[in-house]
Amino acid sequence: MPTKIVLAGEGGQGVQSVAKIIAIAAQKSNKYSSYLPGFGVEQRGGVSLAYLQISSHPIPYPQFEKADIVVCFCSRAVSTVKKFIQKNSLFIYDDSAIDNKSLEKIKSDVTEYLAIPAQKLGREKFTSKVANIILLGGIVAHLKEINFQEFENSILEEFASKIEKKPEIKDLNLGALKAGLEIAEKFDKSKHLFEGVTPPEIKTAFSKDKISWTRFPEYCKGCGLCIIKCPVQALKFSNEIGFLGLPMPEVDIQKCIGCKKCMQICPDGAIKVEINP
Amino acid sequence: MSENALPKSWNKETKPHKFCPGCGQALALKILGHAIDELGIAQNLIYATDIGCSLLSWDMFNVDTIQTHHGRTVPLCVGFKKAKPGAIVLSLTGDGGGYAIGAQHLLNSVMRNDPITIILINNANYAMTGGQLAPTTLLKQKTTTTPKGREIIQGRPFKGPEMLAQISADDTYIARGISTNYQQLLNMYKKAISNQIDGRGFSFMEVISMCPVNWHTNAQESLDFSEIEMAKVYPLGEIKVPKALT
Repeated sequence: MPTKIVLAGEGGQGVQSVAKIIAIAAQKSNKYSSYLPGFGVEQRGGVSLAYLQISSHPIPYPQFEKADIVVCFCSRAVSTVKKFIQKNSLFIYDDSAIDNKSLEKIKSDVTEYLAIPAQKLGREKFTSKVANIILLGGIVAHLKEINFQEFENSILEEFASKIEKKPEIKDLNLGALKAGLEIAEKFDKSKHLFEGVTPPEIKTAFSKDKISWTRFPEYCKGCGLCIIKCPVQALKFSNEIGFLGLPMPEVDIQKCIGCKKCMQICPDGAIKVEINP
Repeated sequence: MSENALPKSWNKETKPHKFCPGCGQALALKILGHAIDELGIAQNLIYATDIGCSLLSWDMFNVDTIQTHHGRTVPLCVGFKKAKPGAIVLSLTGDGGGYAIGAQHLLNSVMRNDPITIILINNANYAMTGGQLAPTTLLKQKTTTTPKGREIIQGRPFKGPEMLAQISADDTYIARGISTNYQQLLNMYKKAISNQIDGRGFSFMEVISMCPVNWHTNAQESLDFSEIEMAKVYPLGEIKVPKALT
């Protein structure tokens, strides 16, 4: 029976790169592997899915309904991977990026899990861009039939053109892989609860005498049109992020004149300006 | 938490919608939503989408929606209107569907003066498939199939509303708006729809849009390209207005 792995995350988080690296490493270790990317029609902002199979025999069909290993990169992907979870599936997730509310949805289905704080570790020790490779380390720990050396080789191959431009990328990625592997090997399920992060409270409403300015983090895609259209430069990007992981605008309410230009230009309906009589 | 800022006619369960960050088509659809709200026609509306990015709006509105092959929304709408004259038929199509593969349908429908409303989104490329040359691509504009910029040998930018105005009947409403001008576009939408409600004839609107992903532009550059570069080639405003609407 092939080992079936499904990976899911936001487009741009490196889900497809990880799947490709595993597939190539498996083939170099004389295994059969298949990799099938799956994403929606949207060019930006969809959940990115990868179907991966590794076997010692030829693989008849690249898609599947239930997976042995389910890897989840972000909160939004949790409901996408729910249908792949079966009894004894291993659920690998980033407990520094996925919130408790999303995990609650699959709590009853998951028996085996592995939590890796990839985003947090990436930010602290490497860069947040290698979070996917840290999670790859967690997958590697459960793919003993593939030679560890081959994973390193296929990472170097995948990022060859980037390493050429920036040589430090090589050490960052290889370090991240080892860090992920280390956490996975030390992971003790009995000492770690099935939980993620509690999302920080985001300020949505700003108001002064008659003007109230509201933003909706669940709709904001962070395009920045409102910031440019504001005639008094009252808007700027804040540190809080919207649902796509991009920064959201915030208002300097003292400067706001209540012209509603930002509300009119927002393609997502994420800003509301009201003038109270 | 105060009530959201979405148009009432939008289907709230499918939001956030599927369009890219900063998409002009989503903006045009938000304003269309406000126009539908103000006219109060959601109950009686049939919304038709084409293939392309316009397809991403199939679950955008809380109205009955139909969808068909690339470029064939115009005959689909005409057929629906003939079968159910009381319905308000509104179609959203892209520049590829309207000016390339479906151009003959658009022409013949204008010639017959069918009482339907067509909204065409002009973003100067084929956006869903990755930014290829479209009839509306500007000269010197780079796309994935014209990496050195569009040359005159590949044709000049297609001016649809001007062409349709030449062959249209007196009761046709033809206008060109831009997604970033809220008030102008809202008024045009309302006129284009009420022209159909009053049973006068064909209404056609081109909306100049933005495509930051395929243009490879940030917010400022997208606004500049659509509001300055595109508006230079495609002049904004009403091109043909029936007497009753003036």
